Amino acid sequence: MTEKNLEVEKKPININDSEEEQEILSPWKMFVRKFKKNKIAVAGLIIFIIMILSALLAPILTPYNPYEMDYSKINQPPSSEHLLGTDEVGRDYLTRILYGGRVSMKVGLFAVIIEIIIGALVGGLAGYYGGWVDNLLMRLVEIFMSFPFLPLAITISAVIGTKVEPQQRMYIVMMIIGLLSWPGLARMIRGQILSLREQEFIQAARALGIRDSKIIWRHLIPNTVGYIIVSATLGMAGAIMSESGLSFLGLGVTPPTPTWGNLIQNAREAYILRNRVWLWLPPGVCIFLAVMSINLFGDGLRDAIDPKSK
Amino acid sequence: MDKLLEIKDLKTYFYTDDGIVKAVDGVNFSVESGKTIGIVGESGCGKSVTAMSILRLIPDPPGKIVNGEVLFDGKDLTKVSEDELRHIRGNDISVIFQEPMTSLNPVFTVGYQIMEALMLHQKLSEGEAKKKAIEMIKLVGIPRAEKIVDEYPHQLSGGMRQRVMIAMALSCQPKLLIADEPTTALDVTIQAQILELMNELKNKLNTSIMLITHDLGVVAEMSDHVIVMYSGKVVEDAPVDELFKNPRHPYTIGLMNSIPSLIEEGERLESIKGAVPNPLYLPKGCYFHPRCKFATDECRNGQPELREIAPGHKVSCFRAEEVTK
Amino acid sequence: MFKYIVRRILNLIPVLLIISILIFGIIKMAPGDPLSTRLDPTSTAEQRAAEREKLGLNDPVPLQYWKWLTKSIRGDFGESTMYRRPVKDVVPKFIWNTFLLNVVVYIIAFLISIPIGIVCAVKQYSKTDNFWTVFSIIGISMPSFFFGLLLIYFFSVKQNWFPINGMVTPGKNAVGWARVTDILHHMVLPAIVLTIGSMASLVRYTRTSMLEVINQDYIRTARSKGLKEKVVIYKHAFRNALIPIVTIIGFTIPGLFSGAVILETVFVWPGIGNVMMESITARDYNMMMALNMFFALLTLLGNLLADIGYALVDPRIKVD
Repeated sequence: MTEKNLEVEKKPININDSEEEQEILSPWKMFVRKFKKNKIAVAGLIIFIIMILSALLAPILTPYNPYEMDYSKINQPPSSEHLLGTDEVGRDYLTRILYGGRVSMKVGLFAVIIEIIIGALVGGLAGYYGGWVDNLLMRLVEIFMSFPFLPLAITISAVIGTKVEPQQRMYIVMMIIGLLSWPGLARMIRGQILSLREQEFIQAARALGIRDSKIIWRHLIPNTVGYIIVSATLGMAGAIMSESGLSFLGLGVTPPTPTWGNLIQNAREAYILRNRVWLWLPPGVCIFLAVMSINLFGDGLRDAIDPKSK
Repeated sequence: MDKLLEIKDLKTYFYTDDGIVKAVDGVNFSVESGKTIGIVGESGCGKSVTAMSILRLIPDPPGKIVNGEVLFDGKDLTKVSEDELRHIRGNDISVIFQEPMTSLNPVFTVGYQIMEALMLHQKLSEGEAKKKAIEMIKLVGIPRAEKIVDEYPHQLSGGMRQRVMIAMALSCQPKLLIADEPTTALDVTIQAQILELMNELKNKLNTSIMLITHDLGVVAEMSDHVIVMYSGKVVEDAPVDELFKNPRHPYTIGLMNSIPSLIEEGERLESIKGAVPNPLYLPKGCYFHPRCKFATDECRNGQPELREIAPGHKVSCFRAEEVTK
Repeated sequence: MFKYIVRRILNLIPVLLIISILIFGIIKMAPGDPLSTRLDPTSTAEQRAAEREKLGLNDPVPLQYWKWLTKSIRGDFGESTMYRRPVKDVVPKFIWNTFLLNVVVYIIAFLISIPIGIVCAVKQYSKTDNFWTVFSIIGISMPSFFFGLLLIYFFSVKQNWFPINGMVTPGKNAVGWARVTDILHHMVLPAIVLTIGSMASLVRYTRTSMLEVINQDYIRTARSKGLKEKVVIYKHAFRNALIPIVTIIGFTIPGLFSGAVILETVFVWPGIGNVMMESITARDYNMMMALNMFFALLTLLGNLLADIGYALVDPRIKVD
């Protein structure tokens, strides 16, 4: 029997009937879909957004000024007028916490930005150029990684911090945290780039004679940006934690500028710890919630970005 | 011929977030002792899942054997206890995997990894097991076996590692060897050596082999019997000579036409149009019809059953009688 | 192996030197006269000048560094101004106190966390796994000082079960067994903070490492050989997961000591972290310098330990 006898269809073969049923997802859509499925990460994001909003909208949310002292109303317990009472110079404590959140998150954010700029630059250069550049930069990373973070941060803060105005200390703290925490990120980015460099599409781009800068911008950066965002998110949780620790020790941001960390410092006084719970419990809860929500969100981001995860 | 292994209406499904993937959907076939059966199909057709289902090596979740029997030595492997199954794994039935680079544990010496099964199933002492491991390494044609036995997988090449895998799989003289694409990851020259080795050992040890591959050339050379799978179903089942002489399923024919060596000079190499359907959105009717140039309305609406059209030759195609090369 | 270790140690020397220069430089930038805490305010200008000359404070900074370095190598870190005794005589006691609290507790936390992490990975998404996942995320996000304060508030202030702070009951001067129980009693709360904090990250880390290994091809191979599930998990999988875990041990030991700064401040535990804070308040520069060097050395040794551990558990690492 030959084909002629068969009723062979002449219409072009439809490759796959079911194709229409499948939605072709862009990486961004796929990422959003994956992330949305992760309820815990979404909850983290919502808590975090609420905390950011309450910090940003502090001037609207509270009628008080965080720095205005009122000696007629010192050390008041919580009341309808002052929901979390007032401190030893009569400032509304809830207002201090809201504005403190502003400072804590700002320090966290900028510390991470510093961390990423240095980390991405060092890691990227080392990974891309390899050879002696890599050797030199990795030695530098190794040295920075050998710094004992907290003791050194404390020492630097104690030495340099006393030379600046209290209002400027915030920037010193950002610098210290940022400058001491980039090596991990640099190592990771270097590793990423090293493995990307070996991949076919980069080799192909090179073979085509595409310029270095173009390869870096068009291929390497887009392919590492996911990891950077994830590290930045988790890094911000770490930076907020470091800031609060330093401020708790009195070596971070110092009063009158409020931060969650230095507000808890109140509790180092036994009387306050014992009798004025509202002065140390709320800022502590704020740090915990902020760090946790960012961690949850960051984990969710990582799982959604990582192509290996389900 | 007595049947060593018989698979009846096996269904293995994967329950994913996006829906149920019917990776193996009602597969029937049997393996005769001392023979080699080839299972052929494109990637994703369910051939590996079928093989892994035999020893219940499917990751659960998401995978699950939802129906069917796997009869081996009179026992249904889908029902036996985990303990009983462990005595069969590596002892009566063993597996060679596709990826020699990742299938050996990087932190143990290759010798130890061979010895493990021997100490477990044959109750050999460590010394005896090591002697046997060296013997096995020699058997699979690796020189300097006394030295290799103490080396780690990363110190060996891909071909060597696959030989080690074979040595490991055959160490307890299994009745059935499942080889899941054993040569796909290897160089062509090494491929031939490994296949030859498997054939040689099969004859020496009288082991049945279930050879899973997408390469019809390998099947032609190695197998006594061939199963062609498509989208989780068996579409053709025939002795090797019959299949190559007289293929009856359009998919089988398509596979054959896409092999360069089987095409006469000057003839154009044909490819099967389209791609394997997404297992989550299988087409209605015969799963192959969107890619089939013989498809009719019957094919678009109904699913063909596997039926015997010649002695020992089964096909699942409505138009099997009319289809030729 | 021996050669490898020696080479790694030799590698540490230049790094340590660079760190010491940096720390020395930072501390030299400190404001205030280091003499102010040394001499009584009635001293005359001539006396001060003589003292400065004697201490070498008029030398150029590099020369001062060189003098400091050559002395330190011999173990002489100068005199602690707040204790009025040589630094090397006071520090060991604090190191021991920190070691007692941190390292002992950490080892315990470690031994508990690893099996938990393995079980969580094996039974991913089970109730056990969910519980420990929540535990981990809370533990990781909880600042140690806040957690410490909460414990003090509930168990020392409200309930009076444990002492608020310190290492021994002041004025008790207990000896022998009584002293041991007294110290243990003081240790409970800080130990809880430390245990939960370390467990949180260790459980998580072990779980992640195991999950990564469990889906590898060689685990399937191990199963296909007919090995018992226990052997597959605890031998074939864990032996591989151990590689990243070993690294984390090396990294956390120095982290523990520096984390002690906060923990010991909260609980007024007389350890190295507490003394670090004191030295800063008292501007005891010799002490600060010595302590920073101690922390840096510890970090380097931790990294070294991680590398050695790595080479020991991973046969793919070439040591020669």
